[in-house]
Amino acid sequence: MLDTLTNILSTTVIYATPLILAGMGGLYSERSGVVNIGLEGLMTIGAFTAVVSTLTTGSPWLGLLFAVLAGVLLALPHAVASITFKADQVVSGVAINFLALGLSVYLVKHLYDGAGQTPVVENKLNAIAIPFLSDIPVIGPSLFKALPTTYIAILVVLISYYLLTRTTFGMRLRAVGEHPHAAETAGVSVVKMRYVAVLISGALAALGGAGLSIAIGSEFNQGTVAGQGFIALAALIFGKWRPFGVLGAATFFGFAVALTLTGQLFNVTKYVPSEVLSMLPYVLTILALAGFVGRAEAPAAVGKPYEKGSR
Amino acid sequence: MKVLSRINSQSTFITSLLSILLGMLIGAIMMVVAGYDPIAAYNALFVSALVQPYDLGETLRTITPLILTGLAVALAFRTGLFNIGVEGQFIVGQLVAIIVGLKLNLPPVLHAVVAVIAGGLAGAVWGLVPGLLKATRGVHEVIISIMMNFIALYLSNALVFHWMSNGADSTPKIMDSASLRIDAVSQMFGGARLHFGLILAILAAFVMYVLVWRTRLGYELRAVGHNPLAAEYAGMSVKRNIILSMMFSGTFAGLAGAGEALGTSGYLAIQPAFTGIGFDGIAVALLGASTPLGVVLASVLFGILTYGGGNMQFEAGVPFEVIRVVFAAIILFVAANVTGRLLGKFSRNKGGDKRA
Amino acid sequence: MKRMSWASLLLACCVFLLSACAGGGNVNQKAKGDFSAGMVTDTGGLNDESFNQITYAGLKRAQKELGIDIKALESKRDEDYVPNLTKFARENRDMIWGVGFKIEKAIADVANQFPNAQFGIVDSDMGGKIPKNVTAVTFKEEEGSFLMGMIAALSTKTGKVGFIGGISSPLIKKFEVGYRAGVHAANPKVKVQVAYAESFNDATKGRSLAKAMYDGGADIIYHAAGGVGKGLFDEVKTREKGKYWAIGVDMDQSRLAPDHTLSSMVKRVDVAVFNVMKAQQQKKHKAGKLLQFGLKENGVDYASTTTKHVKPDVLKRVDEFKQRVVNKELIVPATEADLKQFMQS
Repeated sequence: MLDTLTNILSTTVIYATPLILAGMGGLYSERSGVVNIGLEGLMTIGAFTAVVSTLTTGSPWLGLLFAVLAGVLLALPHAVASITFKADQVVSGVAINFLALGLSVYLVKHLYDGAGQTPVVENKLNAIAIPFLSDIPVIGPSLFKALPTTYIAILVVLISYYLLTRTTFGMRLRAVGEHPHAAETAGVSVVKMRYVAVLISGALAALGGAGLSIAIGSEFNQGTVAGQGFIALAALIFGKWRPFGVLGAATFFGFAVALTLTGQLFNVTKYVPSEVLSMLPYVLTILALAGFVGRAEAPAAVGKPYEKGSR
Repeated sequence: MKVLSRINSQSTFITSLLSILLGMLIGAIMMVVAGYDPIAAYNALFVSALVQPYDLGETLRTITPLILTGLAVALAFRTGLFNIGVEGQFIVGQLVAIIVGLKLNLPPVLHAVVAVIAGGLAGAVWGLVPGLLKATRGVHEVIISIMMNFIALYLSNALVFHWMSNGADSTPKIMDSASLRIDAVSQMFGGARLHFGLILAILAAFVMYVLVWRTRLGYELRAVGHNPLAAEYAGMSVKRNIILSMMFSGTFAGLAGAGEALGTSGYLAIQPAFTGIGFDGIAVALLGASTPLGVVLASVLFGILTYGGGNMQFEAGVPFEVIRVVFAAIILFVAANVTGRLLGKFSRNKGGDKRA
Repeated sequence: MKRMSWASLLLACCVFLLSACAGGGNVNQKAKGDFSAGMVTDTGGLNDESFNQITYAGLKRAQKELGIDIKALESKRDEDYVPNLTKFARENRDMIWGVGFKIEKAIADVANQFPNAQFGIVDSDMGGKIPKNVTAVTFKEEEGSFLMGMIAALSTKTGKVGFIGGISSPLIKKFEVGYRAGVHAANPKVKVQVAYAESFNDATKGRSLAKAMYDGGADIIYHAAGGVGKGLFDEVKTREKGKYWAIGVDMDQSRLAPDHTLSSMVKRVDVAVFNVMKAQQQKKHKAGKLLQFGLKENGVDYASTTTKHVKPDVLKRVDEFKQRVVNKELIVPATEADLKQFMQS
């Protein structure tokens, strides 16, 4: 019984980690007033870059670093298009998704002799056990013997919470997303804040993608991210654009997936086909949203390009 | 989410054309850098998409569902909704159309009509869920739509495997009476699978135009999209319009699925992943500025690039994915009006667009 | 709206014009050489580390040894199968392969449309209705998986082994059933845990399932789940050497985790397609029928690296059973119903 619980919990953690990171990425962008449909693409480019640079440099930590850089780099066109050129933010996000998947698979084929996937990363990020804490039953093995990206994700949530609620930077960021004109009047550069936010968004989403390819998995192909960026987007909205909300929503989703996977090991499939079981996380999310969570208020200025002096 | 009409509001003929050419230039640069011959590649792309009657027919076949999924996204945009669930609505449209095509025994024509309508209705139901939850519970339509996509995929696979095929990987072929294929036309195009769905798609574009711009309902839909508060104040029901918009949008997507199922394939297989036709619809709608004619033209462009892109690999050895980068570049250039800026044309109208 | 639409309209015209200018190129050219073959992949693509890749290896061998001209086309979506097959048929290629059961309906259509062309399909029996110009090639995956089951049952220390499947389908079911039968034949006391990821590419799911199974007491896991199976190897690599094992599928997967891969069930699609084309070139081939490749035909087997980690006495037992299957003294079940009977007898 305890084993099962440990199991469910560690699967939850594995599944939730990339969603938390990408969801937090989306949070920065959207709290500043820029919709980020491009999370999927940013995760993809992160996953791709992490594998290629780990293969080249031999160090997965450098892989993470380059993934973050690539995420920032790919977020840049989104920022330029949606902030400077005032393009529709959804449109440019969709373009980012196309761009990332196209570019990464194109490069994989080019770099690896037409292959559909990269070679396997030998030197990847492995689980790190935290002394003492990892000996606690149930939560020890799942939470404190986790992949480095999991710790990073939790740190990101904590730091972001602090940043957003306790610092001037956070206050400005939120102001820009809620009342850009008031913020501008108060001397905050809306454009600058939004650029910073979108670039952070790219960095974090790419980190989430890198976690998929060099921590949980060990290669990149076009199915590596497979919709998780969209789930992260859902987690962001589910979590009401708040750091702990994102953490909770991503964990909830991971938990639902863990239930379906563990359920199979207890022969639940004798009564319910496994395809139906696979629907469970999505159905549960809908029920949770419809039943308990309800109305979600997006940042007021989200999706609206900022025009100086106009309303 | 704000209506997306501003994309092309500033663009003139020159800027749109330049955007497309620039997008293709980006693709060409990528090919050169990777050591491929871009001229041979593009040549292969266009030749293979358009020259032979068979390929022309298949290109038209590729365009067909794109028009419908593009319209689906565009219609929701008009009401300020982002229907990212077109993919799922497309899948259930396919599923239900095939069920009708397999299980009901009806005379020709009627059978196809019933199957198409059933597919459209299925899409409507799938669109209703996020619409209803948005209207009544205030849940964001994007998140529910994403969930509904996954549910549709697994549902379709479960039914194909356990119910519609006696444990096979795909269903049997539908009855001929439910087929949308027109043999005479197919023959004209060297046996290409172009089908009645194309006419349906063009009809749908016309219907959308009339519905959105020529009816009271359409006026309300647009008003809600433009400013929900003002619409509410003017006595319109925002809730009702949100629900209707998602249902209409879902219907288009469902029709796209029904067309593909009854016209192109004639059966349904277990899908390992999303088809992507729904997601392409988003790009088509954006490029087409959410107008019916724009969607049709953007579908033509996407269809040619998609179908011809496969041959690029065949003839010039260039990976197909470069086409997706070209798509992305075109969308970005059009959206950001890059070419307009390059040409120094700053005909910007402030404070958003009046036409919504 | 007006302005934009006109712009787009003109634009579309330009695209057409452009393409017209580009036209008149090289269409319908006859393929080179006296024998030519084409191959259409399923949506997995050419280098899927699975049947597409193995089939292509067979074509490449034929190119080298038989001097035939080869070409491959990747399918991006299910809708691409028909046009891709048609392309080869119009090029008058002598043998056109479709890889994967997903192509079966497309093959039937195109074969009907081009009655003079020759087609081959891998992994499908076309539901028993094989057109005159089609050669269907299937593999007795259950026989190969049976050997994997035996290896697992004879090597387990915990008395518990696992199986991870991709998307539920009759093909994957054959792997599962054969494996369970093998376990039962070797040691009926060994328990088998079965789970389906309902995906072929979600490696995270594969890793989670593997982790749950290993933590739940299984020490050897076999997969038939494509990319999902990568997650199995990712998980097993983090575990104690010599205690936890993975078993690969389709190709020899030992390179994914050299110290943790007990064996792999290899599917020699390359041998099958090569043999068919060789017979065709020598005009000794008869189409319109099903060719089944099992242990006897060397169509399935355990990978050569199996000797590295599997004990000789285990392999000896396995070889005994292999011989019995080859001699038809033992029929390996391929469906759940057959398995039930098998277990009772």
